[in-house]
Amino acid sequence: MTDAQTPVGTRASGLPTNQGPYSRPQPANLADILERVLDKGIIIAGDIRVNLLDIELLTVKIRLLVVSVDKAQEMGIDWWRNDPMFNARAEDLANENRELKQRLKELEPGSGTEED
Amino acid sequence: MSGGLYLFAVSRGLPEGALSAVTGFDGEHLRLVRSGDLQAVVCAVDLAEFGEAALPRNLEDLRWVEHVARTHDEVVRAVARHAEAAPMRLVTIYADEDGVRRQLDRVHDDLVAALDRVTGRSEWGVKVYARPGEPPAAPAPREASGAAYLQRKREAAQARRTADEQVEHVARALHEALSGATVAARVLAPQDPRLSGRHERMIHNGAYLVPEERADEFQATATLLGSSRPDLIVELQGPWPPYSFAVLETG
Repeated sequence: MTDAQTPVGTRASGLPTNQGPYSRPQPANLADILERVLDKGIIIAGDIRVNLLDIELLTVKIRLLVVSVDKAQEMGIDWWRNDPMFNARAEDLANENRELKQRLKELEPGSGTEED
Repeated sequence: MSGGLYLFAVSRGLPEGALSAVTGFDGEHLRLVRSGDLQAVVCAVDLAEFGEAALPRNLEDLRWVEHVARTHDEVVRAVARHAEAAPMRLVTIYADEDGVRRQLDRVHDDLVAALDRVTGRSEWGVKVYARPGEPPAAPAPREASGAAYLQRKREAAQARRTADEQVEHVARALHEALSGATVAARVLAPQDPRLSGRHERMIHNGAYLVPEERADEFQATATLLGSSRPDLIVELQGPWPPYSFAVLETG
């Protein structure tokens, strides 16, 4: 797995506070922005009645990232295609099972399984 | 084409002209709608894009959502630079200034209470990840039997579970340590790696409301905690406008 992060224990992205709050540019990470503007903030009724249900749905969808694969790739969100964590996790058990059986076969030819 | 007003934030004590260099959507200037001592920061939007018919469709478009979310946050940050600010939830939209003013009047006291709670305080975020790639186990000798192989597998699984528990225990302790310099703290949901793009497991996602005079202390605590645990990645982010703490107590 790649680890492109800085090798220090803490990465502080804030400016020294004596430069005044909020003068820093917003974080680049969309998840960080959405987590706050979509999930937090004061809810008061607007004249346009869409908000809550749609936003709740959207939040769930974005959390699960159930956008079409085409749209996600168009946006450059495609890293999971090559990420073993995502492709393999669901198959972990099946693979391990296969591996175990294979190992048993190799190690104890003809002796049958003593544990399964 | 009909127009509406998009409400970004409600502020108190915003100086005249403070937002003259900031624009809302499509280059529209920001406007203030006043209700007593409060100012609603709004900009004109096209209801063909932000109206009831269009929003359900646009909200399914992550690219549109990103644009709106980033613009929303930029404006809220600009307001928070100059005044006490209570950020609104994304896409809070009114037909006209009267609509904004009516709503402001209705929840005026609650907004004042919310602003009181965040005055002189900033929100900080701390995310903690388990650092991947612990040293790989020494290559196992070729087992004499399948039973020994299975035993080794079980021990490895148990070791992983124990490590997980330790890491979660550390995250809780870290949250408590960070909360020392704060007036309020919230634990947020861990982010989905598909959206954050981070591969490491997020074991803690906290939001902290920190008095401005204790911000240095808070940052030092986070830095110290991070450097004392090389197996964790501690990321401090802030200050944010008080998204997680400017809330209305009632309706």
